[in-house]
Amino acid sequence: MADRPLSPHLSVYRMYRYSVLTSITNRLTGVALSAGLIVLVYWLMAAAGGAKAYGRALGVLSSGALKVIFLILLAAFSYHLLAGIRHLIWDSGRGLERSQSQRSAWLIGIAGLLLFAGLAWWTCLHWTMAGAGGAR
Amino acid sequence: MADFRLPANSRIRKGTTHTAPEGAREVRTFRIYRFDPDSGENPRVDTFELEAGECGQMVLDALIRIKSTVDSSLTFRRSCREGICGSCAMNIDGVNRLACITSLHDLGREVRIYPLPHMPVVKDLVPDLTHFYAQYASVKPWLLAHQSPPPPDRERLQSKAEQEKIDRPAACILCACCSTSCPSYWWNSDRYLGPAALLAAYRWIIDSRDEAGGERLDALEDPFKLYRCHTIMNCTDVCPKDLNPARAIAEIKKMLVERQS
Repeated sequence: MADRPLSPHLSVYRMYRYSVLTSITNRLTGVALSAGLIVLVYWLMAAAGGAKAYGRALGVLSSGALKVIFLILLAAFSYHLLAGIRHLIWDSGRGLERSQSQRSAWLIGIAGLLLFAGLAWWTCLHWTMAGAGGAR
Repeated sequence: MADFRLPANSRIRKGTTHTAPEGAREVRTFRIYRFDPDSGENPRVDTFELEAGECGQMVLDALIRIKSTVDSSLTFRRSCREGICGSCAMNIDGVNRLACITSLHDLGREVRIYPLPHMPVVKDLVPDLTHFYAQYASVKPWLLAHQSPPPPDRERLQSKAEQEKIDRPAACILCACCSTSCPSYWWNSDRYLGPAALLAAYRWIIDSRDEAGGERLDALEDPFKLYRCHTIMNCTDVCPKDLNPARAIAEIKKMLVERQS
Protein backbone atom coordinates (compact mmCIF):
# COMPACT_ATOMS: atom_id res chain seq x y z
CA MET A 1 0.00 0.00 0.00
CA ALA A 2 2.71 2.44 1.04
CA ASP A 3 4.51 2.23 -2.29
CA ARG A 4 1.54 3.47 -4.26
CA PRO A 5 2.58 6.58 -6.16
CA LEU A 6 0.84 9.89 -5.61
CA SER A 7 -0.93 11.18 -8.68
CA PRO A 8 0.38 14.52 -9.99
CA HIS A 9 -1.46 17.63 -8.79
CA LEU A 10 0.07 21.11 -9.20
CA SER A 11 2.01 20.01 -12.27
CA VAL A 12 -1.09 18.88 -14.17
CA TYR A 13 -3.95 21.00 -12.84
CA ARG A 14 -4.99 23.84 -15.12
CA MET A 15 -3.78 27.07 -13.56
CA TYR A 16 -5.48 29.56 -15.86
CA ARG A 17 -8.87 28.75 -14.39
CA TYR A 18 -10.81 31.67 -12.88
CA SER A 19 -11.13 29.87 -9.53
CA VAL A 20 -7.44 28.97 -9.30
CA LEU A 21 -6.18 32.32 -10.56
CA THR A 22 -8.25 34.57 -8.32
CA SER A 23 -7.44 32.46 -5.27
CA ILE A 24 -3.69 32.23 -5.78
CA THR A 25 -3.46 35.93 -6.65
CA ASN A 26 -5.28 36.76 -3.44
CA ARG A 27 -2.75 34.68 -1.51
CA LEU A 28 0.27 36.18 -3.25
CA THR A 29 -0.92 39.78 -2.88
CA GLY A 30 -1.61 39.08 0.79
CA VAL A 31 1.93 37.82 1.29
CA ALA A 32 3.30 40.85 -0.58
CA LEU A 33 1.30 43.23 1.60
CA SER A 34 2.50 41.52 4.78
CA ALA A 35 6.09 41.86 3.57
CA GLY A 36 5.36 45.49 2.69
CA LEU A 37 4.58 46.16 6.34
CA ILE A 38 8.34 46.23 6.86
CA VAL A 39 8.41 49.53 4.97
CA LEU A 40 5.66 50.93 7.19
CA VAL A 41 7.43 49.78 10.34
CA TYR A 42 10.68 51.34 9.12
CA TRP A 43 8.90 54.66 8.52
CA LEU A 44 7.23 54.59 11.96
CA MET A 45 10.48 53.68 13.75
CA ALA A 46 12.28 56.48 11.97
CA ALA A 47 9.53 58.90 12.99
CA ALA A 48 9.96 57.80 16.60
CA GLY A 49 13.74 58.08 16.31
CA GLY A 50 13.89 61.86 16.05
CA ALA A 51 14.46 64.43 13.33
CA LYS A 52 17.82 63.13 12.15
CA ALA A 53 16.65 59.54 11.75
CA TYR A 54 13.47 60.72 10.07
CA GLY A 55 15.36 62.85 7.59
CA ARG A 56 17.54 59.89 6.65
CA ALA A 57 14.45 57.69 6.26
CA LEU A 58 12.80 60.20 3.96
CA GLY A 59 15.81 59.96 1.69
CA VAL A 60 15.56 56.17 1.58
CA LEU A 61 11.79 56.18 1.15
CA SER A 62 11.87 58.57 -1.78
CA SER A 63 14.49 56.58 -3.66
CA GLY A 64 13.59 55.05 -7.01
CA ALA A 65 13.69 51.45 -5.77
CA LEU A 66 11.30 52.23 -2.93
CA LYS A 67 8.96 53.94 -5.36
CA VAL A 68 8.82 50.81 -7.48
CA ILE A 69 8.16 48.71 -4.39
CA PHE A 70 5.45 51.12 -3.35
CA LEU A 71 3.73 50.84 -6.72
CA ILE A 72 3.87 47.03 -6.50
CA LEU A 73 2.31 47.23 -3.05
CA LEU A 74 -0.40 49.52 -4.40
CA ALA A 75 -1.22 46.97 -7.09
CA ALA A 76 -1.31 44.20 -4.48
CA PHE A 77 -3.50 46.33 -2.23
CA SER A 78 -5.95 47.14 -5.04
CA TYR A 79 -6.51 43.49 -5.86
CA HIS A 80 -6.41 42.18 -2.29
CA LEU A 81 -9.01 44.68 -1.11
CA LEU A 82 -11.53 43.72 -3.79
CA ALA A 83 -10.83 40.00 -3.46
CA GLY A 84 -11.37 40.35 0.28
CA ILE A 85 -14.75 41.99 -0.29
CA ARG A 86 -15.64 39.16 -2.66
CA HIS A 87 -14.78 36.67 0.09
CA LEU A 88 -16.95 38.58 2.56
CA ILE A 89 -19.90 38.38 0.17
CA TRP A 90 -19.25 34.66 -0.30
CA ASP A 91 -19.14 34.14 3.46
CA SER A 92 -22.62 35.62 3.68
CA GLY A 93 -23.75 32.78 1.41
CA ARG A 94 -24.23 34.93 -1.69
CA GLY A 95 -22.65 34.87 -5.15
CA LEU A 96 -21.47 31.26 -4.86
CA GLU A 97 -23.06 29.86 -8.01
CA ARG A 98 -20.54 28.99 -10.71
CA SER A 99 -21.73 31.66 -13.15
CA GLN A 100 -21.77 34.31 -10.41
CA SER A 101 -18.26 33.55 -9.22
CA GLN A 102 -17.02 33.58 -12.81
CA ARG A 103 -18.50 37.03 -13.27
CA SER A 104 -17.13 38.33 -9.98
CA ALA A 105 -13.69 37.00 -10.90
CA TRP A 106 -13.71 39.20 -14.00
CA LEU A 107 -15.17 42.05 -12.01
CA ILE A 108 -12.46 42.12 -9.33
CA GLY A 109 -9.78 41.67 -12.00
CA ILE A 110 -10.90 44.66 -14.02
CA ALA A 111 -11.95 46.81 -11.06
CA GLY A 112 -8.62 45.98 -9.38
CA LEU A 113 -6.73 47.24 -12.42
CA LEU A 114 -8.81 50.42 -12.51
CA LEU A 115 -8.34 51.02 -8.79
CA PHE A 116 -4.61 50.49 -9.16
CA ALA A 117 -4.47 52.84 -12.16
CA GLY A 118 -6.28 55.52 -10.18
CA LEU A 119 -4.13 55.11 -7.07
CA ALA A 120 -0.92 54.97 -9.09
CA TRP A 121 -1.88 58.11 -11.04
CA TRP A 122 -2.63 59.98 -7.81
CA THR A 123 0.61 58.80 -6.24
CA CYS A 124 2.77 59.72 -9.23
CA LEU A 125 1.10 63.12 -9.37
CA HIS A 126 1.98 63.60 -5.72
CA TRP A 127 5.59 62.57 -6.34
CA THR A 128 5.95 64.95 -9.29
CA MET A 129 4.51 67.81 -7.26
CA ALA A 130 6.84 67.04 -4.38
CA GLY A 131 9.74 66.89 -6.83
CA ALA A 132 8.81 70.20 -8.47
CA GLY A 133 8.41 71.87 -5.08
CA GLY A 134 11.94 70.77 -4.29
CA ALA A 135 10.90 70.04 -0.69
CA ARG A 136 12.74 66.69 -0.68
CA MET B 1 1.58 19.51 5.40
CA ALA B 2 1.74 20.90 1.98
CA ASP B 3 4.40 19.21 -0.08
CA PHE B 4 4.41 20.74 -3.53
CA ARG B 5 6.74 18.14 -5.02
CA LEU B 6 5.84 14.59 -5.89
CA PRO B 7 7.53 11.89 -3.77
CA ALA B 8 10.44 10.06 -5.41
CA ASN B 9 8.36 7.00 -6.33
CA SER B 10 5.77 9.19 -8.06
CA ARG B 11 7.89 11.23 -10.45
CA ILE B 12 6.90 10.63 -14.01
CA ARG B 13 9.19 8.92 -16.52
CA LYS B 14 9.00 9.17 -20.28
CA GLY B 15 6.70 6.51 -21.66
CA THR B 16 6.26 4.74 -24.95
CA THR B 17 4.62 6.11 -28.06
CA HIS B 18 2.09 4.19 -30.08
CA THR B 19 2.05 5.92 -33.44
CA ALA B 20 -1.01 6.32 -35.59
CA PRO B 21 -1.87 3.52 -38.04
CA GLU B 22 -0.49 3.86 -41.58
CA GLY B 23 -2.53 6.16 -43.74
CA ALA B 24 -4.34 7.90 -40.88
CA ARG B 25 -5.78 11.13 -42.24
CA GLU B 26 -6.48 13.06 -39.07
CA VAL B 27 -4.61 12.14 -35.92
CA ARG B 28 -5.67 12.70 -32.37
CA THR B 29 -3.04 12.32 -29.65
CA PHE B 30 -3.71 11.07 -26.14
CA ARG B 31 -1.08 11.41 -23.45
CA ILE B 32 -2.08 9.06 -20.69
CA TYR B 33 -0.64 8.48 -17.23
CA ARG B 34 0.38 4.89 -16.70
CA PHE B 35 1.41 3.08 -13.57
CA ASP B 36 1.97 -0.63 -13.35
CA PRO B 37 2.12 -1.78 -9.70
CA ASP B 38 3.71 -5.10 -10.69
CA SER B 39 6.69 -3.57 -12.50
CA GLY B 40 8.12 -1.74 -9.50
CA GLU B 41 8.87 1.20 -11.81
CA ASN B 42 7.82 4.81 -11.57
CA PRO B 43 4.71 6.03 -13.39
CA ARG B 44 5.10 7.14 -16.99
CA VAL B 45 3.10 9.00 -19.62
CA ASP B 46 2.35 6.99 -22.76
CA THR B 47 1.38 8.59 -26.04
CA PHE B 48 -1.36 7.08 -28.15
CA GLU B 49 -2.13 8.37 -31.63
CA LEU B 50 -5.53 7.49 -33.01
CA GLU B 51 -7.32 8.14 -36.25
CA ALA B 52 -9.65 10.98 -35.26
CA GLY B 53 -12.66 9.41 -36.95
CA GLU B 54 -12.31 6.27 -34.84
CA CYS B 55 -12.08 7.88 -31.39
CA GLY B 56 -15.83 8.11 -30.86
CA GLN B 57 -17.66 11.05 -29.30
CA MET B 58 -16.46 11.11 -25.71
CA VAL B 59 -13.12 10.75 -23.95
CA LEU B 60 -14.32 7.44 -22.52
CA ASP B 61 -14.99 6.13 -26.04
CA ALA B 62 -11.40 6.93 -26.97
CA LEU B 63 -10.08 5.20 -23.84
CA ILE B 64 -12.12 2.10 -24.63
CA ARG B 65 -10.86 2.25 -28.22
CA ILE B 66 -7.25 2.36 -27.02
CA LYS B 67 -7.84 -0.50 -24.62
CA SER B 68 -9.45 -2.70 -27.23
CA THR B 69 -7.17 -1.97 -30.18
CA VAL B 70 -3.79 -0.71 -28.94
CA ASP B 71 -2.97 -1.64 -25.35
CA SER B 72 -5.28 -3.94 -23.46
CA SER B 73 -3.42 -3.29 -20.21
CA LEU B 74 -4.71 0.31 -20.01
CA THR B 75 -6.73 0.40 -16.81
CA PHE B 76 -9.55 2.76 -15.87
CA ARG B 77 -12.90 2.61 -14.10
CA ARG B 78 -16.12 3.02 -16.05
CA SER B 79 -19.64 1.81 -15.85
CA CYS B 80 -22.74 3.76 -16.82
CA ARG B 81 -21.21 5.87 -19.65
CA GLU B 82 -23.85 8.53 -19.00
CA GLY B 83 -22.57 10.56 -16.04
CA ILE B 84 -24.56 8.97 -13.25
CA CYS B 85 -22.21 6.41 -11.70
CA GLY B 86 -19.19 8.67 -11.24
CA SER B 87 -16.69 5.90 -11.94
CA CYS B 88 -14.74 7.48 -14.78
CA ALA B 89 -13.74 10.69 -12.98
CA MET B 90 -10.23 11.70 -14.06
CA ASN B 91 -8.12 14.75 -14.80
CA ILE B 92 -8.65 15.56 -18.47
CA ASP B 93 -6.64 18.44 -19.90
CA GLY B 94 -5.97 19.78 -16.42
CA VAL B 95 -9.53 19.72 -15.12
CA ASN B 96 -11.32 16.97 -13.21
CA ARG B 97 -14.28 15.60 -15.12
CA LEU B 98 -16.13 12.46 -16.10
CA ALA B 99 -14.61 10.88 -19.20
CA CYS B 100 -18.02 9.63 -20.35
CA ILE B 101 -19.66 13.04 -20.64
CA THR B 102 -16.61 15.02 -21.79
CA SER B 103 -16.93 15.48 -25.52
CA LEU B 104 -13.76 15.17 -27.59
CA HIS B 105 -15.07 18.00 -29.75
CA ASP B 106 -14.61 20.41 -26.84
CA LEU B 107 -10.94 19.43 -26.48
CA GLY B 108 -7.86 20.10 -28.57
CA ARG B 109 -6.07 17.76 -30.95
CA GLU B 110 -3.95 16.56 -28.03
CA VAL B 111 -5.63 15.32 -24.86
CA ARG B 112 -3.78 14.80 -21.58
CA ILE B 113 -5.33 12.30 -19.19
CA TYR B 114 -4.21 11.78 -15.60
CA PRO B 115 -5.82 10.14 -12.58
CA LEU B 116 -7.62 12.39 -10.08
CA PRO B 117 -4.93 14.64 -8.55
CA HIS B 118 -3.05 13.99 -5.31
CA MET B 119 -4.41 10.51 -4.73
CA PRO B 120 -2.62 7.17 -4.25
CA VAL B 121 -2.71 5.37 -7.59
CA VAL B 122 -3.71 1.71 -7.73
CA LYS B 123 -3.03 1.36 -11.44
CA ASP B 124 -3.03 3.72 -14.44
CA LEU B 125 -6.11 5.95 -14.10
CA VAL B 126 -7.50 4.17 -11.03
CA PRO B 127 -7.00 6.09 -7.77
CA ASP B 128 -7.46 4.57 -4.33
CA LEU B 129 -10.64 6.16 -2.94
CA THR B 130 -10.68 4.30 0.39
CA HIS B 131 -9.92 7.39 2.44
CA PHE B 132 -12.40 9.49 0.45
CA TYR B 133 -15.18 7.00 1.15
CA ALA B 134 -14.21 6.77 4.81
CA GLN B 135 -14.55 10.54 5.10
CA TYR B 136 -17.97 10.33 3.48
CA ALA B 137 -18.99 7.66 6.00
CA SER B 138 -17.68 9.80 8.87
CA VAL B 139 -20.41 12.40 8.34
CA LYS B 140 -23.05 9.69 8.89
CA PRO B 141 -24.81 10.08 5.57
CA TRP B 142 -28.05 8.50 6.71
CA LEU B 143 -31.19 9.61 8.53
CA LEU B 144 -30.75 10.12 12.27
CA ALA B 145 -34.22 10.49 13.82
CA HIS B 146 -34.28 8.63 17.09
CA GLN B 147 -36.59 10.96 19.03
CA SER B 148 -39.62 10.41 16.88
CA PRO B 149 -40.37 6.98 15.41
CA PRO B 150 -41.84 6.97 11.91
CA PRO B 151 -45.63 6.96 11.73
CA PRO B 152 -46.86 3.34 11.61
CA ASP B 153 -49.08 3.78 8.59
CA ARG B 154 -46.91 5.84 6.21
CA GLU B 155 -43.50 7.28 5.44
CA ARG B 156 -41.92 10.34 7.03
CA LEU B 157 -43.44 12.98 4.81
CA GLN B 158 -41.82 16.16 3.54
CA SER B 159 -43.31 19.19 1.90
CA LYS B 160 -42.32 19.92 -1.67
CA ALA B 161 -40.30 22.92 -0.52
CA GLU B 162 -38.43 20.79 2.04
CA GLN B 163 -37.58 18.23 -0.61
CA GLU B 164 -36.42 20.86 -3.05
CA LYS B 165 -33.85 22.09 -0.54
CA ILE B 166 -32.08 18.72 -0.67
CA ASP B 167 -32.66 17.97 -4.35
CA ARG B 168 -29.34 19.28 -5.54
CA PRO B 169 -27.05 18.24 -2.66
CA ALA B 170 -28.61 14.75 -2.71
CA ALA B 171 -27.75 14.35 -6.40
CA CYS B 172 -24.04 13.90 -5.59
CA ILE B 173 -22.60 10.80 -7.29
CA LEU B 174 -19.41 10.69 -5.19
CA CYS B 175 -17.15 10.83 -8.22
CA ALA B 176 -14.55 12.79 -6.17
CA CYS B 177 -13.96 15.36 -8.92
CA CYS B 178 -14.56 18.17 -6.41
CA SER B 179 -12.47 16.96 -3.48
CA THR B 180 -9.48 16.10 -5.65
CA SER B 181 -9.61 19.50 -7.38
CA CYS B 182 -9.28 21.30 -4.05
CA PRO B 183 -5.76 22.45 -3.07
CA SER B 184 -6.83 22.50 0.60
CA TYR B 185 -7.78 18.86 0.21
CA TRP B 186 -4.48 18.11 -1.50
CA TRP B 187 -2.46 19.49 1.39
CA ASN B 188 -4.73 18.46 4.28
CA SER B 189 -6.82 15.50 3.19
CA ASP B 190 -5.72 13.64 6.30
CA ARG B 191 -7.81 16.01 8.41
CA TYR B 192 -9.91 18.18 6.08
CA LEU B 193 -13.09 16.35 5.04
CA GLY B 194 -13.21 17.90 1.58
CA PRO B 195 -16.12 19.28 -0.45
CA ALA B 196 -17.84 15.97 -1.25
CA ALA B 197 -18.14 14.81 2.36
CA LEU B 198 -19.15 18.31 3.52
CA LEU B 199 -21.83 18.52 0.84
CA ALA B 200 -23.20 15.22 2.13
CA ALA B 201 -23.10 16.54 5.70
CA TYR B 202 -25.02 19.64 4.60
CA ARG B 203 -27.60 17.53 2.80
CA TRP B 204 -28.44 15.77 6.10
CA ILE B 205 -28.21 18.85 8.30
CA ILE B 206 -30.92 20.60 6.29
CA ASP B 207 -33.08 17.49 5.83
CA SER B 208 -36.44 18.27 7.49
CA ARG B 209 -36.76 14.68 8.75
CA ASP B 210 -33.33 14.52 10.36
CA GLU B 211 -33.13 15.21 14.09
CA ALA B 212 -29.37 15.22 14.62
CA GLY B 213 -28.56 18.59 13.06
CA GLY B 214 -26.94 19.86 16.27
CA GLU B 215 -24.75 16.80 16.66
CA ARG B 216 -23.79 16.95 13.01
CA LEU B 217 -22.72 20.58 13.41
CA ASP B 218 -20.81 19.71 16.61
CA ALA B 219 -18.87 17.09 14.67
CA LEU B 220 -17.90 19.59 11.99
CA GLU B 221 -16.90 22.44 14.29
CA ASP B 222 -13.21 21.82 13.91
CA PRO B 223 -10.37 23.90 12.47
CA PHE B 224 -9.49 21.18 10.02
CA LYS B 225 -12.56 19.10 9.17
CA LEU B 226 -14.49 22.13 7.95
CA TYR B 227 -12.46 25.31 8.17
CA ARG B 228 -9.67 24.24 5.83
CA CYS B 229 -12.11 25.39 3.14
CA HIS B 230 -10.84 28.76 1.91
CA THR B 231 -13.51 29.18 -0.78
CA ILE B 232 -11.15 28.56 -3.68
CA MET B 233 -14.22 27.43 -5.65
CA ASN B 234 -12.54 24.67 -7.63
CA CYS B 235 -15.14 22.21 -6.29
CA THR B 236 -18.13 24.06 -7.69
CA ASP B 237 -16.17 24.83 -10.83
CA VAL B 238 -15.62 21.16 -11.70
CA CYS B 239 -18.74 19.39 -10.40
CA PRO B 240 -20.04 17.36 -13.36
CA LYS B 241 -23.53 17.32 -11.82
CA ASP B 242 -23.60 21.10 -11.47
CA LEU B 243 -23.88 20.90 -7.68
CA ASN B 244 -22.44 23.47 -5.32
CA PRO B 245 -20.25 22.14 -2.51
CA ALA B 246 -18.78 25.61 -1.94
CA ARG B 247 -22.20 27.01 -1.14
CA ALA B 248 -23.00 24.05 1.11
CA ILE B 249 -19.80 24.64 3.08
CA ALA B 250 -20.54 28.38 3.33
CA GLU B 251 -24.01 27.54 4.66
CA ILE B 252 -22.56 25.17 7.27
CA LYS B 253 -20.15 27.89 8.41
CA LYS B 254 -23.09 30.30 8.64
CA MET B 255 -25.13 27.86 10.72
CA LEU B 256 -22.22 27.46 13.12
CA VAL B 257 -22.05 31.22 13.61
CA GLU B 258 -25.80 31.70 13.85
CA ARG B 259 -26.31 29.05 16.53
CA GLN B 260 -23.89 30.89 18.84
CA SER B 261 -26.21 33.88 19.12
